This record gives sequence, structure tokens and C-alpha cells, in this order.
Amino acid sequence: MVKFLSEEWIEYGKSYIHKNLDPAKDLGNLTTSVLGVIEHVPPHDTVTNFYLELQDGHLSDFILRAGDAIIEKQPVYVITGNYGAYRDIFEGRTGTAMALLKNRIKLKGSKIEALKIIKQLDGLIDALRKVTDEFEE
Amino acid sequence: MSRYKVITVKKTGLDDAVAIAKKGTHCGMCRIDFLGTGLCPSGRKHGYLAYWPQGRMELVKHLNDGTLKPTKTLIDIANSCTLCGVCDKQCNFATQLRPEKVAQALKDYVNSLDSSEFQNVPEDAIVKGLRAIVGEQWATNDPMIIASYVRSIIPPGVPLDFYVVMPETSEQVSQIIQFANTHNLPFLPRSGGTALSVASPTVLANATNLERGIVIDLLRLKKLKIHPESSTAVVGAGVTSFELQKEAYKHRLRANVAEAGAHVCANIATTGIVTTWGNAYGCFADNFIDLELVDTDGTIKKHHELEISNPYAVDNGFANISLSPPYIVTESTVKLFPVFDDEEAVLVPFDNVEDALDMVLELGRRGVGLSLAVLSYKYLAEFICPTRQIATDFEDVCKNYLKLRYVLDVVCKKEDKKIVEDIAGYTIDQDMLKNLILGSPKLASLKNSEFMKILSEEKDPLRVIFAGPMKKHLEQGLDATPANIAKVYDADLQDFFKKIYAKPEFSNVVWLHAFRILPSRLMRQRMAMGPGGAVWAGDKNHILKWIKMFSDVGDKHHLEHALGFISPLDHGKFIYIEYDYFYDHNDPNAAGRISATLLETTEKSLVLGNIFTLINYLFKGIYRKEHVLYPLPKGLTPEEDTIFRDVLHSLLGDYEEW
Repeated sequence: MVKFLSEEWIEYGKSYIHKNLDPAKDLGNLTTSVLGVIEHVPPHDTVTNFYLELQDGHLSDFILRAGDAIIEKQPVYVITGNYGAYRDIFEGRTGTAMALLKNRIKLKGSKIEALKIIKQLDGLIDALRKVTDEFEE
Repeated sequence: MSRYKVITVKKTGLDDAVAIAKKGTHCGMCRIDFLGTGLCPSGRKHGYLAYWPQGRMELVKHLNDGTLKPTKTLIDIANSCTLCGVCDKQCNFATQLRPEKVAQALKDYVNSLDSSEFQNVPEDAIVKGLRAIVGEQWATNDPMIIASYVRSIIPPGVPLDFYVVMPETSEQVSQIIQFANTHNLPFLPRSGGTALSVASPTVLANATNLERGIVIDLLRLKKLKIHPESSTAVVGAGVTSFELQKEAYKHRLRANVAEAGAHVCANIATTGIVTTWGNAYGCFADNFIDLELVDTDGTIKKHHELEISNPYAVDNGFANISLSPPYIVTESTVKLFPVFDDEEAVLVPFDNVEDALDMVLELGRRGVGLSLAVLSYKYLAEFICPTRQIATDFEDVCKNYLKLRYVLDVVCKKEDKKIVEDIAGYTIDQDMLKNLILGSPKLASLKNSEFMKILSEEKDPLRVIFAGPMKKHLEQGLDATPANIAKVYDADLQDFFKKIYAKPEFSNVVWLHAFRILPSRLMRQRMAMGPGGAVWAGDKNHILKWIKMFSDVGDKHHLEHALGFISPLDHGKFIYIEYDYFYDHNDPNAAGRISATLLETTEKSLVLGNIFTLINYLFKGIYRKEHVLYPLPKGLTPEEDTIFRDVLHSLLGDYEEW
């Protein structure tokens, strides 16, 4: 298990997804991309971004950047929320759809299209949840 | 196994306090002065829910469970009650409960504790920060206060990892939200709380309530100013429907409002105030001129500002769901409408829904009436009968003897009354309505009587009793006096209720419609859940099919159920329907069945298509009705239905299939 939003989290996450998620069965051969913007990251109240891309159900890109924005990518969805909201999602206290519908995270992109792939997104989050249990207080 | 000293029969000597507390449904009627008694002095002074009768009832449940260790605040909560008896009168009118016995039990419990039995909860950094915004008194992390919010914004069974804050201004709301975001805490505004309490025993509890974080109780935003020159009112988020209506009536004006205890601003944001007055007064954005909003970043905006994100466009369809308001409406400028001297209420009785529907559609299209609705006999009985038992017997009389299944309920001006009477043939007029209200115990008592048996054998008992020779006998036989209806109350309250029913407004159907104090009776000692929505008025078969679906699902899940109301909207182009299910909120099995019913009726409505359901309009109240109601979504395809189930699964987890 590794720390949430660390480089290890990215590496373990990639490895876990490659090993455990079936591109067709679990990820529906999905092609999409998500930029996560995490605000108010403790302890210094900073912003951290991660970018995750799927091509035909295969994880093709997963990067992390603290401070600077990831401007070179053109994500289908941008999901912005504070650290507390992301932490609740990755700790399993709330689901992605629930956080979205309760305005705890904000989506840039079609909410309707995002909800249509919620099963696959939940699968991805669940995989990333399995490699992290360490969070900032 | 209980961890802390428990409120018990043995301890308090009051064997029904806990039972009373469990029957509480957070109807909120103890927080409005609808009987002219004045308000609970403790609640008015301290604000937090724990100091109101409904909050004390919630606290007693927690202390009875043994899951809550007292803090010193409990002493203050218990002692702040003066046992003035106001809550008993209010609660008895609405739900027949006696909250004062609960308050006494709490006092006895507190007196039984020694100082070692109190826990100390230190002020933490979050409370300090919140207090810096709102003042020392108005932010807390005390579990005694937090527990009182369980079931009306905090889901039952979760750790009390919450803060409660009571801002007084929009600026304070803004600062609280910014503070919450900086400290990574979720937040949710609370107004009346009744809608949240309705969802609380069901599968929707976690979806609609706050899982942790900051409860922003909006009760202190009490600004209320009527502008008679422009027929508008400026209303703060802490103002209830009843309070607004009371002020508006002083100027011979009327607001389009939800139930008496509901908060006006929250209703605007949540469901757009769809009422029986909607055909004449409008719905959704028709209700207001302007709003003051605080967004989820804490920015204060006015609805008229150009910078606001487009408030008028809305995606329709099943996936456009919101479970939380996009803005907190902290202040609204609402429209008011004239009260006419010649307004009257008139009811048209029906033995079937098809004919009632035909007539309400006809009146809606013609623009007849100010308030216009088809009510089921169950609504009629629940509203006018002073106790649950009398309502049950009254229902029996209506259904099995009078063949009175529905009434078309019209509040109108004199010229419109004539149209109603011409179309109807015969009606129940205002005098007879007064007799039915004051004489409801007597009418209910005629169940199984020879008189009713003879009447039921008539071809058209409704005509015989409301338009024929029996009308005079009925009027005389009902013994409809304030003194007689007061006899059904507890002995110590009879004098009080005799005076209440002697007030003209308590048997004036127009006043009762405008002030909406009677719907709380649907919640007496059990929960009422009313899904529904809108359909085009032009396809009667579709409407009837939809109503039948609600009925069939209720039967399938063994729930008590009935049509609530049908009202036209937008000049009769739409029909709004509420269908109600009733259940014991203390019975987990019943809560499971109501959850299944909610999910099943929603899915079936979406598959049926051309129906605008609760999930289509929840938290879209600030949009224009034209953008919410047009176009109605098409029925889900099997592929879309699968996606809908995926979304529900993501939201609700491994919920049992329905």
C-alpha cells in the first residue's frame, strides 16, 4: 500500500490495473481520459493534478503533477474537487457518482456521458483504492 | 449492549416518552406559530434543533439507544424547556403526540446523572474557525446538539463526526463554505429538514443527507419584508411558508408556498414550489423575481447578474440527476398575488378518477380557479380529521358508504364558482365543508350505522347526501361545533382546541389551503413518501396508466397507498401528480419495502416515458418551467435502462433488486 497522490501510487496503480482489470470485461473497451484536479492538498494547501487515459480499455497514460497544471493533455473530462472529496472517494466513503451528484466534485464535460460510463469509472477507482490507504490529515 | 446510561421507563417513570419520541417524524410544525400560542421559548432563543421539541425527541431516542454519552450541554437543553405546553398543543393538532412528556423525561434523566457521567468535548480548530465567522454561540461540535440533527440531515447510524453552524447573513454563509472547502470538509444546508427526514429511513438516506462535515442550519436568516406596491416579498432562507403567508395576508396578498413548515428559499431551490395554486400562480422560476445565491465555492451571486452560469437551460433526461443544491438560496424576492373578497372553496365529489380528471383538465384549460386539485378521499380524510383513528373511519365512510373516492377541490372567485357548479351538477359548498371539518368525528362515527347502510344502497349516494333531501339532515346530524370536535382531544387540551376551532380560519377552506397547516397530518405517527411528477395533459390514458402503475407497485410491496393530488400546470397543458405511500418509519422491513417502491416506480416511470419524475426536477427549482417541462423525456430504451441501473448501483451500492 502506498500514499495517495505519490509517484508510487501512480506506479502501483498502473501495475494493478494492467494486472487485474480486463479491458473488455471490466473497462468495456472504453476510450476516454480524465484530468483530476485536487485542490487544498494538505499540508500546504496546494493543487495536485493527475491525468488518466484509456484506449480501448487499456490504460495508456497515468501521470501525476503537483503544483503546475497538466496543460499538454486534452482530457474528455476534468474533475475538480478538494482533497477531502477525493479522499472520501479513494477511501470508499463515497462513490464517484455520489460525489458528482452532491456537487462535491465538479465535472467539466458531459455529466450525462460520464454517468453512462460510471460502471467502468467505478471499476478504475476501485482498483486505485486497492493500492492506497495513506492520506494526509 | 448500551454503553452509557439509558433513558428508561424505570429511570424516568414516564413510560411513554421514548415511544412518543420514536413516533416523531420531523414535520417541523413545532417551529411555526400556527395556533397563535407563540413559539417554544427555548427553541426561539437557542436556535439549534436540540432546543426545539422535535430535536429533544431525537435526542431522547439516542440516549435511549445508549450510544450517546451526555455532555454538559444536555443540562442546558433540558433546563431550557419551561414546560409551557405550547409543543403539546402544536403537536397534538398535527400528529397527536405529547412532546412535553419527552421534555420532562429529559429533565428527569439529566437530574439522575452525576457529574462523572458527562463527557467533555473540547473546542477544536474547526469549531474555532466557524465561531470566528458566526460568533461564539452559533457553531458547535457538541454531540448533544449534533445528535438532534440525525434523521433530518445526518443519516442514522453514522459516527457524529459533524459540526453545526447557524449563520445569520449571506456573507457568513459564503465564509463558511470557503472555510469548509479550505479544510476539506463537505457541507450541506438545512432548512425545514422534513424532506430529508422523509428520505432518512429509505435507501435514499445517504444520497440526500450529509455523510460528514458541516451542517449549515439556515434558520437564523429571518429577513422578511413585504412590498405591497410591487406585490413582492423579500424572504430570507430561514423564513417558513407559514411566516411568509401570514405577513402577506396582512396586505391582502398571497404567496405560492409549500407546506406550512417548509422554508420558502429551500423549496425554490429544491422542487420549484409546485402546488395546487400552480395553474394560476406558476411554478419553478415563475415564483421569484430575483435570488441571492451562494455557490459551492462560496461566491455570492444575484440571479440577475450576467456572470451567473446560464440559469435557464437544463438538459433533460434520466442522467441529469442532482442530489444536492447547486447553490444555497439565502434570499429570494418572491411574487405575491391578490386575495379577493369573493374567494370561496367548492368541492366536487366523484366516485372515479377518470371523471375527476376530465373536469380538472377542463377547468385548468379554461383558467378557472386559483387553486385547483383532485384529491383522493384519503387526503381529504387526513387533512380534515383531527386524529388518525377518525381519519381511518372517515375514509371507510367515504369509500364504502358514500362512494366518495375523489374530490375536485377548487378555490375560486365568485364568477368561477358558477362555472364549476354548472359543469358539476352538484357540489359541496363552503358551509357544508365547514360542517364536514367540525363534524368529521361524528361522520366517522357513523361507520357501520344503519343510516350509512341505507345510504350506500342508493344509486348515487353522493347526490343524495350533498344535493338531495338528506343534505339538511346531514348538516344537522353532524353536530358540527367547536365544542364537539374538541372532545376528541386529551381532556386537558379540550378547552384550548374548542377556542382554536372557534376561530373562523380553522374551518375556512380557503385559509387552510393558503396556509397549508393540514398536510402535516399526513405524517402523524408514521412517514408519508410522495413520489410523482408531471405529464402532458393531452393523453388521458397515459395519465391513468401512470396512476395505476403507482397503485400496482404499492400493492406489490404491501404498502398503504393512495393518490395524493392531481393539479394542472401551465394553463392546463401539464398535469402534476403526487402519489403517496405510508409506512411505519420505525420498522426496517417497511423501510425496505418503501425503498423498493421508490426505485421501482421511478424506473417504471422512466421506462413509460413522457413523464417528468422527481429525479428529473430535484434541485432544478430555479429554472424556468419551460426549460424543465419541455420536452418531456422519451421512455428509456433497454440499453438506457441498464445504464440507469448502473448509476443507481453506483449511488446506492448493492441494493436488493426490486
